[in-house]
Amino acid sequence: MTSPARPIRADTPVAIAPVGDRSWAWRRRLAYTLLIAYAILMFVPFAWSIITSFKTLPDSVRLTILPDPFTLQGWDFAITKLTPPLPVLFFNSALIAGVVTVTNLVLGSLAGYAFARLRFPGREVLFLIVLATLMIPDQLRLVPVYLIFNGIGLTKGVGQYLGVILVVAISGTSIFLIRQYFLTIPRELEEAARIDGAGFFTTFLRVMLPLAGPALGAVAILTFQGTWNGFFWPLILLQDQGHYTLPIGLLFFRTAGGFATIYPPLMATVVMATLPIVVLYVFFQRYFVEGIAATGVKG
Amino acid sequence: MTAASLARRPRAPNKGRAEALAGYLFIAVPMALFLVLNVGSIVYALFISVWKWNLRSGPVEFTGLRNYGTALSDPIFQTAIRNTLYYAVVWVPLTMALGLFLAVIVNQKIHGQTFFRAAFYFPAIASSAAITTLWIFIMAPDGIFNQVRGMVGLNPLFSLLGFTANQNWIGDQGTAMNTIILLNAWTTSGTFMLFYLASLQSISHEVYEAAAIDGAGAWQTFRRITFPLLKPGHYFVATVAVIGALQLFDQALIGGGVDGAPNNALMTMVLYLYNAAFKQFNFSYAAAIGIILFVVIFTATLVQRRLFGQAPAW
Repeated sequence: MTSPARPIRADTPVAIAPVGDRSWAWRRRLAYTLLIAYAILMFVPFAWSIITSFKTLPDSVRLTILPDPFTLQGWDFAITKLTPPLPVLFFNSALIAGVVTVTNLVLGSLAGYAFARLRFPGREVLFLIVLATLMIPDQLRLVPVYLIFNGIGLTKGVGQYLGVILVVAISGTSIFLIRQYFLTIPRELEEAARIDGAGFFTTFLRVMLPLAGPALGAVAILTFQGTWNGFFWPLILLQDQGHYTLPIGLLFFRTAGGFATIYPPLMATVVMATLPIVVLYVFFQRYFVEGIAATGVKG
Repeated sequence: MTAASLARRPRAPNKGRAEALAGYLFIAVPMALFLVLNVGSIVYALFISVWKWNLRSGPVEFTGLRNYGTALSDPIFQTAIRNTLYYAVVWVPLTMALGLFLAVIVNQKIHGQTFFRAAFYFPAIASSAAITTLWIFIMAPDGIFNQVRGMVGLNPLFSLLGFTANQNWIGDQGTAMNTIILLNAWTTSGTFMLFYLASLQSISHEVYEAAAIDGAGAWQTFRRITFPLLKPGHYFVATVAVIGALQLFDQALIGGGVDGAPNNALMTMVLYLYNAAFKQFNFSYAAAIGIILFVVIFTATLVQRRLFGQAPAW
């Protein structure tokens, strides 16, 4: 702050405007300082997890910004000694989030197109069912979904992947977002294609899908983030440690795994669980912000 | 010309049938999944909840509404309801106020508007598991929160409030839930900021110009104009917030384990349900809790709708 310590008194022979200006400038500077401080505060915990992951265990509880000594022990421990190890958790998270993103794009764009453009009996009622699925809390579905999947062998072995993918393979949000976007595209474009003799699928694939970029981008980002961060269904449906995703691994380390206070590898896992989403956020911030604001549905 | 005349020609009946067939094919997979995993699930949950259920052999004995009665008279479930309501009553207004405050700030003409918006939303992008693990580390007895407040000389103030220098925030019965409230207020305020921002931008500039001409100050403009005109925004954010609050689970499980330790301080309704299913393996009991939870959430939504007006666009 470079402003004078003492405010100028009202009776000093200075025009009123500069006094006002100066106090406004001072207030504005204070406001910006607070804003920047609060913005930095948003990043501090994440920065702290990165710093801690490079510390030694005794150093990890010290309030120092630079690791002393700087070590990769925490990462080495997370990669080789944690059970399940960090690369396995990362692979499982990436596999499940990747597949679910693809299924939501494929199934969501097909269904979104049908609900926006094709005429068939019962369309409105069926679309209402799609919207109604957004109102049903997951907890109500916990027992039945688990029992159904358990009954058909989707809670064992590789079936666990399939189960956890199936339950979020398509969301009402994805269909809704893509349908709304298709409704804004003029009909003339596809009618021209239809007259050229193209079938419904060809029209969808060649004419409409290439125009849906922004909607597909938003659905891809929201789905990947939601599935990568997913907690409830992976917790219920992934029974073997070898199939855990990063969030379930973190829960396991903290509560049952006995790693609750071995902070450096624990923070390395936090970093790996967060970093891919941070990278996506840096590059596709617009999709995050607009997607959230448009749907009002998180994840 | 030719295109227009062709388009106006009446559609052949078999073409309409082909279109309907294509429509059904395009939606077949999602509708099948919704039918089994959503619609079917509710019916199945209702069915399971009135039986004594065995994981291997299915229904054993018809019990009627006994599961519902047992749940409502279980003191731990009552604690879970109390904890969840406490969380909702404190967290919802706190986070809404914070979100509104941030939205009003980033809605001003300020330098770096995009940066501040992105920064304030940043805590919301991480997974609940990662952020809760991190938060517990920060709030541990030897964590940086306790160290920083000691360093800047706040400890006398904290001891006045009854907290020791090594307060175990998440592990102490008296502070566990408030620690979770603070965490979720911090992470979710960014999301609510975005909701409010969309609502703020729908208020026309003319209203503000009129207020400025009448000489209204910043606070008066906010209180008399912005706040009342945000009514649809309040309604939408409050509905989302209450539904979310009643489903508090991830942070409670990670913070206090499957029993909501310490001493049920973190036991919530959903955690109680999870406990019934996967610690006690009492699936029909858990199904009944799920139905009760659904009724509670549905009722809360209806009550808000009665109190605050019409349904939002979705």
